[in-house]
Amino acid sequence: MTAGAAPDVWLDLPEKAQRRTILAIARKELDDAVRSRWFWMWTVSFAGLAAVLAMTALPASRIAGAASYGRTAASLVTLTQIIVPLMGLTLGAQTIAFQRENGALRFLLSHPVNRTESFWGLYAGKAAALTAASFAGFGTAGVVTALRSGGGEAGSFVRITLLAWALLLAMVAVGMLISTLAHRAPSALGSAVFTWLALVFLGDLGLMGTAVATRLSVPMLFFSTIVNPVEAFRLAALATFASSFDILGPAGTYAADALGAALVPVIVSSLLAWILVPLAVAWFRFTRHQDL
Amino acid sequence: MTALLALILGLAPLLGAAPAASDGDLQALIDAAAPGATIELPAGVYRGDITIDKTLTLRGTGGTVIEGTGTGTVVTVLAPDVTLEGLVIRRSGDSLDREHAGISVKAPRVKVVDNRLEDVLFGIFLYQSPDSVIRGNTVVSKDLFIARRGDAIRMWESHRTVVEGNVVDGARDVVLWFCDDAVIRGNLIANGRYGLHFMYSDRATIEDNALIDNSVGSFLMYSKDLVLRRNLISGNNGPAGYGVGLKDMDGSRLEDNLLVGNRAGVFLDNSPQSVGIEQTFEGNLFAYNQIGVLFLPSVKGNVFWGNSFVDNTVQVAVQGGGRFGGNTWTRDGIGNYWSDYAGYDADGDGFGDVPYRLDDLYDHLLDRNPELMLFADTPASRALDLAARAFPVIKPRPKVRDDRPLITPPPVPEPPFDLEVRPGGSLLAASILMLGVATTTVFAAQRRRSLP
Repeated sequence: MTAGAAPDVWLDLPEKAQRRTILAIARKELDDAVRSRWFWMWTVSFAGLAAVLAMTALPASRIAGAASYGRTAASLVTLTQIIVPLMGLTLGAQTIAFQRENGALRFLLSHPVNRTESFWGLYAGKAAALTAASFAGFGTAGVVTALRSGGGEAGSFVRITLLAWALLLAMVAVGMLISTLAHRAPSALGSAVFTWLALVFLGDLGLMGTAVATRLSVPMLFFSTIVNPVEAFRLAALATFASSFDILGPAGTYAADALGAALVPVIVSSLLAWILVPLAVAWFRFTRHQDL
Repeated sequence: MTALLALILGLAPLLGAAPAASDGDLQALIDAAAPGATIELPAGVYRGDITIDKTLTLRGTGGTVIEGTGTGTVVTVLAPDVTLEGLVIRRSGDSLDREHAGISVKAPRVKVVDNRLEDVLFGIFLYQSPDSVIRGNTVVSKDLFIARRGDAIRMWESHRTVVEGNVVDGARDVVLWFCDDAVIRGNLIANGRYGLHFMYSDRATIEDNALIDNSVGSFLMYSKDLVLRRNLISGNNGPAGYGVGLKDMDGSRLEDNLLVGNRAGVFLDNSPQSVGIEQTFEGNLFAYNQIGVLFLPSVKGNVFWGNSFVDNTVQVAVQGGGRFGGNTWTRDGIGNYWSDYAGYDADGDGFGDVPYRLDDLYDHLLDRNPELMLFADTPASRALDLAARAFPVIKPRPKVRDDRPLITPPPVPEPPFDLEVRPGGSLLAASILMLGVATTTVFAAQRRRSLP
């Protein structure tokens, strides 16, 4: 069967059958991920680092109370900022490009499934595996914090976890987009690493340089910052435990003042856009180009 | 009510007070009392507002409430040596310009002890009342927007006054104007605007207080020779959230204070203001603040030794940049502990062998471009510092140089109050749930393999 002939027929199937197909592909993808060394490397290193952070932040909590939770949370946010995009992007980028190269994609599409189902199944499977990895990390850090310091703010912690999860979904989406665009597996991986570098370091450094060199206005600086999903995650996470955005200096004071109650929704919507837009583009590209 | 009146009427002669007025009016009771008498008030609600114009002791016996009309000051004291003790005083008016208060005192040597003031605009107002004592009171302000509230304790030209063991929650300020030689000890002041505000009040001793979650911990201005010792100053995070702000001060001494989680631990504006006067900071803990110590560029003459600087986002900052110097970070061969010190102690004498230098490029940029605070604590700002270290050609002039940095932090001073620790139960439950989700996902994948 050639891949090009099938789609229209299969789209006519009842929705339930389509959902079952997606689920089956997702399970297969999850199974593959859980059995891969990458997955365990990320899970163990994230959980380990998170636990170490939660432990080292403890000695002062006796005197500092909530302030030391703030430092634990801030460290955890920094760790997440570095690791979650890296694992999301690299594993996301490995999905289609790698399967295209080793023939797995050809094998998958030789079954009675269409490209749309394959795409969403692959994304769901990858996302589920990485969700497990990130929840394992946050769960470990949370248990350590709760047991050793006794203190902590469950509401803030859960919200940070959910924001990290949203960041993860966005990064897997961007990874999938890279994966559909790349011609070869190594170039997909390379692009993923470069994207990570750009989001985590180069974007911020560029903004800092621009702000200093051109006296960028404070509103411009703030909005250019939250366009970056990694920064959107950090600022939204900060809002869950910082007493006020004033701690971010003039830009924070401006944002809290100008946006008021809409502050967190605006930041989070940037994060959600980074899930939806790359997925839409990747899906479009994957279904339109019939390459194997 | 009649039983209550009978009780008052019955007790009054026993206690040497004049016979009470027939309608049980507290004001009448006071008017009828002989100067120097003690009036014990059994539990019950007494109508205010009252004025005490002779030396008296007014003592509650638990559950004694004096309720104001809501249009003025509830208890006004005009005579010296009055004692107010064990009373619940509530419902003052809410006019800021008429300074409606729970207790307003305009006479020397007054004692205000173990009272509870609630729903009042100002709490305790001392006006030209030297040698007074305010001890063990609780003040809860009216629930208004913070600038519309009154001061929990306001003192004006009341020298040598002792303010001790009071609890203030959700008022505006605790403020002293022109009050020399005050003692402020063991108070808990939380959720207000200025925890402590000093104006032109010299030689005060401020010790063992907790100033928590106010907009500003303490702002001390135009005063000389203040001693702050063993205070816990934490979570003061307003736009000017200084743990201790010093403006035009001379000769302040800060010892063994805990400055934790404030916007800036200490803020120095033209302090010391006189040439040749120094201010000393010894044995304090600066931890988890956004900025440990914040200087204006021209400030000099401060000496820091034996302090711990632990994980402040920026350890020392100079607002606005400019030529900065003239402060000392070592005394008698003892420096400070810096959590970001990267040196070593090869000879094992407890001091680092290379000086601690604060010359982070990001901090330096921040001094001139405060809007870059948006990037504090990001991987990018750390990368910048790393780059500056790797390529010294872009390394800025150090702001701080401590030649004898301590290798281990000095012991943390004991906090004056036990802070409540939030129970970790719900966090534990949430975390276990997350681990559960992770495990289930992994096992769901594993189980599939056993299917045919």
